[in-house]
Amino acid sequence: MSGTEQPPRGIADDGDAFHFCSTCAFSAACLESGYDKSQLRDLHVLVEHIGPFHEGEHIFREGDPFTAIAAVRSGTVKTYVTDHEGREHVQGFFLPGEVIGLNAISQARYPSNAVALDSAILCRFSFPNIAALAMRMPGLQQQLFKLLSLDIGKAALLSGNFSADERMAAFLITLSRRYAARGFSPNRFVLTMSRTDIANYLRLAPETVSRVFRRFQDEGLIHVERREIELTDRKQLETLSSDVLRTA
Amino acid sequence: MSHATLTCDPELLRRYDQPGPRYTSYPTAPQFGPHFQEDMLREYIHRSNEELIPRRLSLYVHVPYCSSPCFYCGCNRIITRDRTAGRRYVERLIREISLAGPLFDRDREVIQVHFGGGTPNFLRPEELRDVMRSLGQQFQLSNAPVRDFSIEIDPRFLNAADIAAYADMGLNRASLGVQDFDPAVQAAVNRVQSVQQTLAAIKACRRNGFRSINVDLIYGLPHQTSEGFGQTLDTVIGIRPHRLAVYGYAHMPHLFKPQRRIDASHLPNAEQRIALLCLAIEKLTGAGYVYIGMDHFALPEDDLTRAYDAGTLHRNFMGYTTHADCDLLGLGVSAISHIGDSFSQNPRVLPSWEAAVDSGHLPVWRGRHLDQDDQLRAEVIQQLMCRGWIDIAAVERRYDIDFHRYFADSLARLQPLVGDGLAVVERSRILATSRGRLLLRIIAMCFDRYLTAKPAAQAAQYSRAV
Repeated sequence: MSGTEQPPRGIADDGDAFHFCSTCAFSAACLESGYDKSQLRDLHVLVEHIGPFHEGEHIFREGDPFTAIAAVRSGTVKTYVTDHEGREHVQGFFLPGEVIGLNAISQARYPSNAVALDSAILCRFSFPNIAALAMRMPGLQQQLFKLLSLDIGKAALLSGNFSADERMAAFLITLSRRYAARGFSPNRFVLTMSRTDIANYLRLAPETVSRVFRRFQDEGLIHVERREIELTDRKQLETLSSDVLRTA
Repeated sequence: MSHATLTCDPELLRRYDQPGPRYTSYPTAPQFGPHFQEDMLREYIHRSNEELIPRRLSLYVHVPYCSSPCFYCGCNRIITRDRTAGRRYVERLIREISLAGPLFDRDREVIQVHFGGGTPNFLRPEELRDVMRSLGQQFQLSNAPVRDFSIEIDPRFLNAADIAAYADMGLNRASLGVQDFDPAVQAAVNRVQSVQQTLAAIKACRRNGFRSINVDLIYGLPHQTSEGFGQTLDTVIGIRPHRLAVYGYAHMPHLFKPQRRIDASHLPNAEQRIALLCLAIEKLTGAGYVYIGMDHFALPEDDLTRAYDAGTLHRNFMGYTTHADCDLLGLGVSAISHIGDSFSQNPRVLPSWEAAVDSGHLPVWRGRHLDQDDQLRAEVIQQLMCRGWIDIAAVERRYDIDFHRYFADSLARLQPLVGDGLAVVERSRILATSRGRLLLRIIAMCFDRYLTAKPAAQAAQYSRAV
């Protein structure tokens, strides 16, 4: 069995005291600036590995004091807020290599909740420390800005008046690109989020999510096997999602 | 479409006539445990709703009552003449349906409903109608023509208008118990049922547009002879039901009390049993029936044969079905559910089931979670039972294993069977031969992780292979 064809079950290459994780959001910036991981440790900004958080366990909650951002090493994390009527609003899903907590940077407290969707391990970066380091390391600062703008862009993905098919296609294509960027198979992956979460995120009814999945499957665009998705007609999905993704 | 041939090799059948599970599930029911309770069933149902495309539903409704005891029976049933028991049972069934129904998302269509027993037609048509109405209120019952809404019928207790009432409430398939028309056999098993009664029931089913009719026969009963059983087969073939099941009688009086009333000295010996089975195969295949697997035959145009041809046949607690990949919810005493990667079973004794339902609980007695290894072996066994071969490459791809390494022990156990010509191991598949297809469960047992440990215990628990 070839390794690349296997759907990622959220496993990032493990780093250690001297090596960055392969999916690390900051390793390239640090290395570019001439810092390897052991030097970072000397600077007391060493990242702290936290978890595993089990399915349904919270990493932080809305209103918790903001002290750190965290990169997902393995698993999937969902962020959400709850409105005054107790309804949940999903803000995003974070895959290995992606950073949560960025939307807290302008505030003293986390503005949303972060919960593990499966067994998740994260790297925690003390924010005051990494901010101080960024002042000395222009590459790192740029990387932080880039992550921030990506985070804002992500929120814009699903605004606008698009059909259920377009939104679903855009969702799949975006995930595919994100997996591909981190060295995973772009055309075969596991969706660890429930259909309720996907529906909530895409502002659709859960029944609609399944109906669209079923239709995409009947039309040969995807193949669904429980939680596993294979993109079988990527071109068509790209076409369907082009308007949504252009807006984003 | 050509169908694989069956070879009746009496010597071989005799050698492999040993106890084994029927694999309506893997792991089998003895592997269920009491740690699996109501909260876990709820959790599995919730998870099943959250799949990207939630599976359709299959509902099994168990009716435990019979008016009269058939001595061969190994089912979970209660003998009574008290018809008010049926009404009380139906009220609780409706309660259970209203507890379970709301847990499933509304877009999960019910494609299969099966009333099994016991004797479902112990209940009056209006009682069955109340159950169907309740199912219709709590679930999305499919309107598609391929929906499979079936009932097991004892023709001896059927009234003339019953079938029309069943059709009216949406049932479209029936399964009739016959066993043997030979009067000597019927007397010995306490089930006297005329050809006339049986024929009347089947005609009524046809008149009322039932899609499919199944007839159950049993070989290996007391006083059974090749002449008598041969006549029964000829009569049944003349009636031409779409499907036929020919079960081997398993005499296990230590497990099934009613069987103690059968005098073991009147049972056919192993040689005669096998002759009866071979006779059935010869006559049925000669008459155009296709062997589906285990004990089941069907006409070439029946849905079951089409599914067999298409490789989409599936096996569950109700036997073979065309509806693969459903979540199965069992309702009523002793009923088994299969939701996602779990099996669970309702209490086997009536008072426990009643008490749970009365206190507003899903009546879960025991169950188990299927781990990765269970799922993998379940799929291998499913492939064997449903089409007679294992697709090695597909299993490797799906579970990311090296089949020959993973199943080294199983393949070693399979070796003597290969030597005897029951199975062939090829590079990309393992195939039951024409001689091995009658012994599918013996081949499947090689892949059962839970059987290797204690052969003595198996002998006491499972019926014989032929």
